[in-house]
Amino acid sequence: MARHPDDDLVPYLRGELPPAERERVARHLEECPDCKEDTEVLRDLLGNLSHAIGQPPTVNWARYRAELREKLDARRERIVWWRRPMPLTLSASLAGVVLLVAVWGSRQISPNGEPIGPDEVVMGQELGLLQDLRTVERLDLLEDFEVLRNLDGLAAEHQG
Amino acid sequence: MEPADEALCARVARRDEAAFELLVSRYQERAYRLAWSILRNAEDARDVSQEAFIRLYETAGSFQGRSKFSTWFYRILVNLCLDHKRKHKWWKLWVRDDDEERSETILDRQPAPANDPVDKLSREETLKALGSAVDRLAPRQRAAVLLRVQEDMATYDIARVLKCSEATVRVHLHRALATLKKTVEKR
Repeated sequence: MARHPDDDLVPYLRGELPPAERERVARHLEECPDCKEDTEVLRDLLGNLSHAIGQPPTVNWARYRAELREKLDARRERIVWWRRPMPLTLSASLAGVVLLVAVWGSRQISPNGEPIGPDEVVMGQELGLLQDLRTVERLDLLEDFEVLRNLDGLAAEHQG
Repeated sequence: MEPADEALCARVARRDEAAFELLVSRYQERAYRLAWSILRNAEDARDVSQEAFIRLYETAGSFQGRSKFSTWFYRILVNLCLDHKRKHKWWKLWVRDDDEERSETILDRQPAPANDPVDKLSREETLKALGSAVDRLAPRQRAAVLLRVQEDMATYDIARVLKCSEATVRVHLHRALATLKKTVEKR
């Protein structure tokens, strides 16, 4: 006996199969009591399913359409806002700000020509160090400050 | 003569509001019912079906008429439902907020009372178990069953909605119905 046409039974019941396939399934069902029984069970099952699935809670369709209209309008407004051409003055102002930032950024170069990283700029601004760059450059000279202060103390003791 | 869905869709692409209203009126009940059957929650079904209409409005121009309008629209709707289920799956594990009214109203939906009350009770319980078993099917299997049973769609159209081959739809249906059959046989 040919293989059981399991996947074809639902299309067979709905009359969807092309004539040759339909003929093949019908012939099989005549010879195979199991598949014939399956087909009957499937027929009942499909009939019962629409009752089993049931119906959703009722809806006020006028309100449904009003809500839909509101949602659609809100969506269109959002799209319009994004696509709206910017006023000329606002565009020019924005372009000016971008240009200023670009120029200012390019000037943040140290005297020896090495670019200063953004983190260094931020830290420098917070500490106010860049305002006195020459002092900062000579910080290594102050590393001995502790020693000098101790020396002063030693000198005072010596004098005392 | 009423304009065809496809003609209305072409008008929606040209932003004809009246055509859109007409399409919504034609499909609102079917869209909501199918969404509810997949999502089992009235509020979600309303939101998702409305979103499907918004997508229809936005993308009407992309409908090329290669399939029926209903198939094209159901594809939008079913995809939205399956996406919604996927996104909310983790939440449903914790809170089951599906409509409870289904189990309460199932008795009201039955055909005329049978003569034998025992038979009637047994049938009601079987239908209830069957409904729960449908809820537990894998999402695509469930969608295939619902499109077949509720929308009376052919395998070819279900395949286009689910964007898969007809053979795959047949397998989905066969597996789903085999699962449902077991539920009925257990009772």
